[in-house]
Order: sequence, then structure tokens, then C-alpha cells
Amino acid sequence: MSTKGTHIPDWLTVPFAGITPAPSQEKGQDLFPTGNWRSIRPVYRDKLPPCNNACGTNEKIQGYLDLVKRGKYLDAYALIKEDMPFPSVTGRVCYHPCEQACNRGQYDEAISIRAVERFLGDLGQALARDVVKPGKPNGKKVAVVGSGPAGHSAAYQLARLGYKVTILEKSPKAGGLNRGGIPDWVLPQRVLDREIERLVELGVTIKTNVEVGKDVTWDGLKKNYDACVLAVGLTEPNSVRAEGENKDGVLYGLPFLRDIGMGTSKVKLGARVAVIGGGNTAIDCAREALRQGAVEVTMITVESNPEEMPCVPEDLHDMLEEGVELLHGRAMTAVLGNGRVEALQLYRARFSGAINASPITVNRGAPAERFAVDNVIIAVGQHASLTWLPKEFKNERGTINVDRFGRLGDTNFFAAGDIVQWGSGQPLMVVNAVGDGKRVAFNLDKVLRGEPLEPRKVPVDVIMDLNRMNMTYFPHFPRVRQAMLPPVSRRKTQGEVIQPFTEQQAVEEASRCFSCGTCNACDNCYLVCPEPCIVRSARSNGLYKILVNYCKGCRVCIEECPTGCLEGVPELDFDTGVVRMDTAFAISPGLHGRQAQELLNLGSRPAKEI
Amino acid sequence: MATTAISTKKKTVRMNGCVASAQAAKYADVDVITAYPIRPYTATMMALAQMVANGELDAEYIVADSEHSQLSIAHGASSSGARVFTGSSGVGVQFAYELYSPISGSRMPVQMMIADRTLDPPGDFGSEHTDALSTRDMGWLMGWACDAQEAFDNHLMAYRIGEDPRVLLPQMVCQDGFFVSHITTDVELPDPGQVKEFLPPYKHPYPLDPRHPVSHGPQIMPEQGPPLQLERARAMEGSMTVIEQVHDEFAQIFGRKYDPWVEEFMTDGAEVVFFMQGGHAVTARFAIQHLRDEGVKVGLVRLRTIRPYPTDRVNKVLSKFKVVGVIETNMGLGSVSSGGSLYAEACAALYESPQHPLVISFMAGMGGEAIVLKEFYWMTKKMMEAQKRGKIEKRTHWVGFEE
Amino acid sequence: MPVIEVQRQQLPILDSPNQGARFYNPDLPSSEPFVPGHRTCAGCGPAIQYRMTSKASGDNTILVGPTGCMYVANSSYLCTPYNVPWAHTQIGSAGSFTAGVAAAYEAMIRKGKWKGTFPNIICEAGDGSASDIGLASISGALYRNHDCLIICYDNEQYANTGIQASSRTPYGGMTTFSPPGPKVPEAKTLYPKDLARMMAAGHPHCYVATASVGYPIDLMNKVRKGLNHRGAAYLMVYTPCQKGFVYETPRSIDLGRLVVECGLYPIWEWNPEKRAYDYSFRPQSMRPVSDYLKLQGRFGHLHAEHIANLQKFANEQWRMMGVELPEALSQAADVKNQVNMAAAAEAEVVAQTL
Repeated sequence: MSTKGTHIPDWLTVPFAGITPAPSQEKGQDLFPTGNWRSIRPVYRDKLPPCNNACGTNEKIQGYLDLVKRGKYLDAYALIKEDMPFPSVTGRVCYHPCEQACNRGQYDEAISIRAVERFLGDLGQALARDVVKPGKPNGKKVAVVGSGPAGHSAAYQLARLGYKVTILEKSPKAGGLNRGGIPDWVLPQRVLDREIERLVELGVTIKTNVEVGKDVTWDGLKKNYDACVLAVGLTEPNSVRAEGENKDGVLYGLPFLRDIGMGTSKVKLGARVAVIGGGNTAIDCAREALRQGAVEVTMITVESNPEEMPCVPEDLHDMLEEGVELLHGRAMTAVLGNGRVEALQLYRARFSGAINASPITVNRGAPAERFAVDNVIIAVGQHASLTWLPKEFKNERGTINVDRFGRLGDTNFFAAGDIVQWGSGQPLMVVNAVGDGKRVAFNLDKVLRGEPLEPRKVPVDVIMDLNRMNMTYFPHFPRVRQAMLPPVSRRKTQGEVIQPFTEQQAVEEASRCFSCGTCNACDNCYLVCPEPCIVRSARSNGLYKILVNYCKGCRVCIEECPTGCLEGVPELDFDTGVVRMDTAFAISPGLHGRQAQELLNLGSRPAKEI
Repeated sequence: MATTAISTKKKTVRMNGCVASAQAAKYADVDVITAYPIRPYTATMMALAQMVANGELDAEYIVADSEHSQLSIAHGASSSGARVFTGSSGVGVQFAYELYSPISGSRMPVQMMIADRTLDPPGDFGSEHTDALSTRDMGWLMGWACDAQEAFDNHLMAYRIGEDPRVLLPQMVCQDGFFVSHITTDVELPDPGQVKEFLPPYKHPYPLDPRHPVSHGPQIMPEQGPPLQLERARAMEGSMTVIEQVHDEFAQIFGRKYDPWVEEFMTDGAEVVFFMQGGHAVTARFAIQHLRDEGVKVGLVRLRTIRPYPTDRVNKVLSKFKVVGVIETNMGLGSVSSGGSLYAEACAALYESPQHPLVISFMAGMGGEAIVLKEFYWMTKKMMEAQKRGKIEKRTHWVGFEE
Repeated sequence: MPVIEVQRQQLPILDSPNQGARFYNPDLPSSEPFVPGHRTCAGCGPAIQYRMTSKASGDNTILVGPTGCMYVANSSYLCTPYNVPWAHTQIGSAGSFTAGVAAAYEAMIRKGKWKGTFPNIICEAGDGSASDIGLASISGALYRNHDCLIICYDNEQYANTGIQASSRTPYGGMTTFSPPGPKVPEAKTLYPKDLARMMAAGHPHCYVATASVGYPIDLMNKVRKGLNHRGAAYLMVYTPCQKGFVYETPRSIDLGRLVVECGLYPIWEWNPEKRAYDYSFRPQSMRPVSDYLKLQGRFGHLHAEHIANLQKFANEQWRMMGVELPEALSQAADVKNQVNMAAAAEAEVVAQTL
């Protein structure tokens, strides 16, 4: 017997006939870790989508679009509410810088983010109880002066942080520029009313008809509150310094809109109306004029063409659709008429670009033009009224001097919104005012808690670029358009011009989102990994994990990540979690003996579910 | 072990070796049969096809696209836990050659019926043992029957031995083409109850079963080869005990007693013996009876199992004689004796013996030619001359081509 | 003897990952029949295919692995990444061993020797096995219509033996058995065997399809259709080999799309009920073959005329599918409109030093 006296040493013991027991699903085939083949490691690192970055209040836009895609509307609404107190408002009025920044705009058409936001905002409006809850009361009182976008936002965030907030509002109704600066056919009053109700539900006290400088004083605020946010806005209309501006029939843009908004307007417009100015308020005025009975409305701008106008192009388009005429390259130098406006004197003019002087050059050499009108609405900006403010906080622009955190010196006074204007000098858009209010609220909170203030930093390289994504996975797909009232019928109604998305439209449009730089649980990495060493505990955003003991660093997952949230990092950058092996394979002594034993026990193991 | 079952359905039927093999497969209730036509074993598959068509046997009957496929189908089916029956002849056996080692190495007790046929060229339907013998070291249990009844019995015993958990090896159950496969004799078919008692259902310990996943045949490191080979060698050697036990049990249940290793015929007082395997032994028996009548001290030792080779038994038996004449019926071109391959193995088995008989290799029964009585007499004469001379004339004689 | 009726699995067909504009892969079962810890090269196309296939088939599956990369690299040193039963078989036994497994389960279930739903029996043969040495055995299994799925993971060469030409290696492909040289500048002179059509034409009762790792859900659905088909099914899958094609590992899936987009790997299904080809699969775009060739070192030696030849070949494939050829692709088949590969000048010199 040749095999008599033979024995197989432990280290060479192998299972019967080399039949190998199956590995476990959880641990993989742990005899053979291949992680040390790798020189580059894939890492999930969510980047900032450009929309989030561009948003004035940094709404997590990609996040809520992703939730809408999945039909999780309430979660989406809750997410938007972290940064935005009134999505139903911005969903109607926002100039949507997010859409300008949207990567999809470079591919086919940007996502109609605003329309989805409005869908969510309206959903929130319909809720019996809002999803947002006040913070645990911290016993501190804060006054917010002004209930426009910035004040509303600051009050909202402070209430969520646990402050006892009181809003002081000059007008009989809260809302500020949201109410007074935006026509009903863009933002119906009931929508805003509901959002203000939400603020009250959050525990914010709103005192109307309280004017700072008149009903309360600087010292009073200082004494009665732990801190104060000044969000008083720019309330006084600018004049064009034309002769005869005081004649009857001359109106100013904001008061014109505000009085209509507050329901206190007594204006009756004639048939021919001119609007001076090329900004967003001017456009609103022109369109409102049509609804107030004007037959011919002409917009007179210094800008020499529509592209130069400082307005939202879509609104300009809608205005022209409604029949407003444009007259470019003119400045109004006088209002003509006998006590009442009959005509305007116009000269050819252009913007000189000069700063700190009059930026408009009027060509008086050319003959004056006479432009017959029944009314003229001047909408060339506003300025502040700050008689009550201590001098040291006023600046040469007539607005409030704050540091980069929105704080007035070392006081507990903060200011936000148009009244600060340390930005471009342009009046802020609603969303920027909201963002300003939010940041100031957080800074105020830090100051009251004695924490140091740090500026928000967004490294440019983490804003996701289209080139770093895989477009293979996104077929071209047209933008879902919101229905509009036909232009002819708009003159007769205060009804909303832009119609809301249906649920199906909202989902369809949200589905176009690339989720730039952010994991959206598409499962592609999971599916294409050759090992496969990409695992997930549950299918959800950002729950994917790479088993570094096995990953060979092929980077197929990185290449095929549609959103670009995976990136390759040189292995040398890591000092933990790396398998180091002496040889190409890591079979330890006795390992196959264990396999052999495992095989022998196979029959007594419970059968696998199949 | 239980006593013989009451044999109510036992019957004796005249049939040839091929049909006897088919009957054995039916009695073993095989699950998968895989066929490919080549003479002479085809008759077995023809018989099985008819049984399946008649509903006598419930099995998957697969007409493969080649012998290579036949054997790999058998391998796959056996790996999944099915009892498998296949077979071939001649070059067909060779065509499947690749599979012999993988099947035995994966320890799958596939059973293969072989009705011998010469290898090409040129094409020849005759019988010669070279086809199966060329695969003899591939880890298959192997032995020859000399008639249809023995073939039938060998099939049942081979399943029982090969499927024994101590063995788990494939089996080649061989018979001479035409001399056994196509000659009709009486075969006693047992009662199914007897077979049930003798042959339990096939159960491989680690089949391909989704409920108990395992991997069959992964790659190994060079140093992992030897332990696996050693285990296969142990199984082959260890099968000897099992073979003996199974033959005993077979005798108890079926009443036919075979020596598992060698059949001795008229060896009492014999000085010269033929050493051979297969169906020509039947003629040899007649020749020996004639010669004994004339006072010639000749006998027959028929090898029944060549794998595992019963070395000690061969040594013990053959050492008793003065001259051993190995009848090859196979080709071993350029081999030790320049004749067949049985000679070398017989000599090797005898080497340790203190008293060597003289060993002569006879190239007889080649190309399917019958070994006639005259030739047995001639070979006996050659053996007696050597005995007298105390020395062999030459190692190999080509019978029929020499004076 | 009581005969038990064999119950068979019906796997649901997966939704497209593109739902409207949204890209989101459909949910898959959580079980992992193929786990990490195998020695395939980084970015291995066949391994990607294995992962997708086994994921689609689930736990009640038996895999058969004829000799090839997926045997040698996956099961090295008595390790195994297969969490379902898997068996090695000889490279020429792909179809036959698989047939044996299928036949065994038919018989064992019918005879009450194994209780359960008929398993998914999948053979994973490389193109060497499927197009050369095991061709007859696969044809036999298809002809006999065993209830199994035979997959050819087509990496267009014998890879684990060190990159040798198979009858699936494309014209112009450099391998160690088809090197370029002054007398044979294009390297491989023969065009590949149209294996899948051969299988469809010869076994019209079978479900036959081609797929590519570039389209995972399509691939997984074809696996499931093949398994659901009562009888034999055949799937030929393009699986790039980083080692043999010589490309950057991250491009494995990308190549799987490009090869389809350039027409060198037509994707179709053979419908056994209608006895007709279904050519409705359309890649996102059609592009010249050079877009695909230039990513791979194995084509680095090609001259303009060879690229034009390959374009002609691709154009013929488009025509076979009934696709109208854009003018640009017809133009690209003209040697005047092609240029040599950038590396072609050095290719001969390099090849001779090997």
C-alpha cells in the first residue's frame, strides 16, 4: 500500500477533492484580499451643485429635486424650509439664479427649479400644520424691524433657533416688499398671508403699524431686546430729477404697486402710460398699468437695447407678450403739461458707466422729443430713510454700515436686506434678502452664545462642473414648461399669469436634475463594479461604501458615476484602512484546513434560502 | 447484512453483453444516460433508448454530440447528484480522454460501459483492449467481464463500490467487443427488491446544490496538487477493502460468488498458466480442459480487476507456477516487452517474490481475431519449452506469425 | 413511479434605468452570488459581466465555468468568489457539462430526488471555449434544448493564456498569435466568426441575443429572458479585456458602449416564437470605428486602409440590422478619409523587438 504511512501536513490540508465552500456574502472571499493592488482609491465626496451655490440663500436644490423625483414631497418641502421660509413666494417671484447656474443649461435646458419650488411651496401651504417647529426656547428676545423678505427670513430662523421674536412692521399689513413690491398676478396676497400665518404659528409676534424712529427708538430696542435685526428696506422712491416731476399724473413705481397691494390705491390711469426705468420694478409697473386699464403702455429706458436692461429676461418677454412697447436710449428731462402731465420731454441718452457721479449722459445737442402720455410711472430705484439711526452706523450711500457678518459695530444690532447694500449697490432680489436674513440670524445666534464668527467659505473646486460628470446617462430631454394665461386675457385679470406645475410635471421636471456632484443612489457604481466591492446597507443617497480590502482601484465606478460624486484619491494619501500584504496573495497557514473542516460541516449547516 | 430477498421476479433471459449492461443500468435506476454511437457498445444505448421510450426506465436520455461531450455531460450530471450511465468503444474512448482525470479527480462516480474495439487505423470493428487500457491510470476503477452475466453483475457492483463514500471514484466496466457484447447467453435478471437491498441511492456529499453552495474544481497552487493526488491514490487503494466487502455482499444477496481480483481455473497442480482478462478466457477454459485431458499441467488465471491492480494477490497466485503466459489483447508499442502492457504489470507484481516464474507475453486476440484452440495449444507449447529450458526464448511472441 | 412536475422560475424583467429624464437603476435583489476577493485584473470586463449576470439570476442558480479567465483568475488557490454552486469544466465541455447539470435536475426533480424549483443553470464560457474548442458542445446543448443559459463572455481572445487570437478576435487586432510585422501590417487578417448569428440560425428554437457590459440593464434583462425561456438560451456579451485590449481600466464600461455605437458589436435578440431577429435596440449615437479603435493599444499599429476596412465591416453590420447609414460613416469607409493610428509608425519596430 503506497499510501500507508502517509500524512498530509496541516498547512497542506485541502478540502475534499478541492471542493471549496462558498464564501459569505457579507465578508466576501476573505482568503484573498486584493486591496493592495490599488494605487488610486475611489472616494465618495459630495460636491456642491452649482444651483445650491448660486442660490441667494443656498437652498439645497439638488436635494429637494431628488426627493421630488422619488415622490417624497413632504421631505422635499422640509428640506427647502431649512433655508427658505416661504417657497410659495420665491417659487413665484424668484429671479432664479440657480437656473442660470444649472449645469443642465449647458447641456440642453436648465431645470425649471422655480416651478418645482412653487409646487413644493403650494404643497406646504395646503398642510394643516407646517413641518417646521420652533426651537427649544432659550429665553432670549429679539426684535426684527421690518417684515419684508430679509426680516421674515431672520425672524423665521431665529424662531427655529429658540428665540422669542417680535417683528415690528410700519405698515398695517406684514410682508414688506413681498406685499408692496410684487403685483397680485405674480404673487397673490393669500399666498403671502398664509406664509405670514406660518410665521405666527412658529411663535413670532408681529406688531403692525409700528414705525421705528416714531413708535420705537434705538434706545428702546436696545433696552427691551437682547438683540435686534434691522431689515427696514429702502422705502423712499428715487426721483429722476426732471422738471415738473410734481405734476398730477406722475407716479412712483413702488408706492404705485404698494398701494395696489395694500388695497389702498386710489389711482385711476389714463389710456396712455409711460414707465421710466428698465428694471424689474419698472416691468411690474408696466404690466400692472395694463391691468389697471391703460391701453398703451410704453417703457422708456436709458439702456439702448433689451439685453442691457437690469431685469429678468423672462419677465421682459412676458411683458412684451402682453403688448408693452419699448423705447430705448431716452432720458426723461421734463414732465410737460398744465398742472397735469400731458407729455414727456425726452432726450437721447446713454449710460456712461461713471461711478459716484450721474451715470447717465444726456445728449442735449439732439432735438428734444415730445412723448404724449396720460400718466407716467417713475421706477428708477429707492433709497432709505434712516433718520432714527445713530450717525456712526450710517454710510455715504445712506444705508447702514455693517461688518461682513451684518453686525453694527460691537452692538447686538444686526442689519439685513436692502438696507445694508454692501453688495453690488443694486437692490437685492427676494432670495438674496432671504439669504441675508438667514445668515444674519445665524451670526446673531453665535454672538449671543459667545461663539466666534467665521465667514462662509465655498472652495471653488468643489462646485461641480459639467465636465466632471458622465453625460452618457442623461439623454437630452426638453424642459417642462409652465402653462401661462394667454396674453390677451391677462389685461382683464389680477389672476396669476404663470400657472403651477401639476404633480406629474413637477416630478418630470425634477427628474431632469443631474444631481451634480451628489450621490442620488442611482446604483450605477454598485452595478458596474467588477469585484463587486461596492456595498450599501440600504439603497439611499450616500450610503454606499467601498470595501477597501478588495477594491483594486480600476476606477470604473468613478468613470461611470453619472453625477461625479465619486473621485479618485491617490492611495498614498491614506494611512488607515489599507491592506498591506507581503505577497501577491495572502493565504495564511492552515487556512485550507479550515476550509476542509467547513466543508465537512456543510451538511449540518442550515440550507440557504433559494 | 440481510439475507437474500425473496426473489419473486427473478428471471433468466437470453441476451448479449450489451443488453445485459443496459439491463444493469435499468436495475440501477440511473437518472441520466448519455449516448453517442460507435460500434460495438452502441447496442447498449439502443436498448436503453428503447427502455426509456417504453417507459420502463425514467431517465434523461441524451444523445451527445461526441464522446467528449458524453463524458462531460456525465460529469455535470454526476456533480449535480444524479446517477449516470455512459459508455463507448475504441476511438470513442480516446476522444473523451480529456475528461477521465477531471472526473476521477473531482471524485464523481460516473459509470462507463466499454465494449472494446481496436483503435484506428485503419478502421476495424474488432475487439482489442487497448482503448480502455490506455486510460487505466486516470483514477477509474476498471475490470473486465468474460460473459454477459458477469457484465451485468459487474455494473451493479461497480456502482456500489464507486459510490461508496470511502471511494467516490468513477468506474469503467469493460467487456470484449463482439465476444461478449454480441454473443447471446443466459443472464439471470434479479428481483428489483434484491437490487434495492444491494444498491442504495446515489448521494454525493457535496453536489452542486443551490441550498449548499460549493465550488467544484477551483484552481490550486502547485503545492496543493500533491495532497489532492495523494487523496485520490488513497481512495483508489482504499477501494480494495470496499471491493472485497461488496463482492461478499453481492454473493449473499444474488447468490453468485466472484473472486474480486482473479479467477483461477484448473490451477491445482498446474505448472504453466495463462494470465489474461476478458472474454477469450472462455475459449482458454476449453483449451485447458483438452490439454489437461492429455496430461499437460496448464491452468488459467483471469484478472477480473485491473484498477486497483491486485498486486499482492497476483504475486501470491502467479508465484505458485513455473511459467506464466500473459495474453495481451492490447498494444503496447515499444513497451517493456515490445508487446502489450499486461506483461509489465504482471512482472512488476512478481518482482518482489523470492521465486520468479518465467513470464512470456503473447500478442494474441489482436484486431478482433478470435484466439482459437490451436493457438492456445501453441502458446502452451511455448510455455512448456521455456519451463524445460528454464529460460524464455524471447519476451514476446506474435501468435499466428511464428512457427 | 410517481412523476413530479418540474416547477420553473420566472424572473421579472427590469425597468429601464432611464425613466423619462431620470437615470435610476431599478432595484435588484440584495443577494450577492458573486463576491469580491478574486484575482481578475482591475477593471475586468468579464468580471463585470459575471457580477451583473449572477445578480440577475439570483441565489437559485448553478454556474458552470469552463476553463478561461473566469476559471483561472476567479478561483485561484482554492479560493472561490461564487456564493452559488459553481463547477469548473474543461474548455471544450461548456455546453455538455451544463447539459449534464440540467439533465440531472430534470431527472432528480421529476423522480423526487431533489425538491425545489428548477435552478437557473448558467454556463459562462469565454469566446475561446464558445467559438472554438467548445463550439460543438454548445451547439449540442442548444440543439437538445436543455433548460439552461449559455453565455459567451466575449473578450475577443484567449486572455489568461497570455492574449492569443481566437476566432472572435477582430480584424486588425494584435495578439501574441497575431502580431503585426512588415509582412502582416494589420496583425490579424481574418474577420471574426459571427458566433451569435450562427447560434440563432442553427438553433432557431432557442432564445439568442447579444449584449454588452456597456448596457447593464439590457444585459441583465437578456439574462433573465434567457433563463425564463423554457429551453436553451444563448447570450453573447462584449466584455473588454484591459490586459489584451490595452486601455485605461476606467474605460471598461465606456468601451462597452463605444463598440456598439461604432457598429462593431451589433446588439440584437432572436425571437424564437416569431423566428425573427429583433433589431430594435438603438445606441444613443452612431460613430466611426476610429473612435473605438483609438482607445486601445491592440489597434495602435493600424494604417488608414485597415481602419477603412474595419469601417466597411461595421457598415455592413449596420446594414444587416436595417439601419440607414449616415453619410459620414459611408465616407469613413473610404481609405482617403482615414489616417494611420498615431502609434503606427513605431508599431512595427516595437513588434519586432518583442
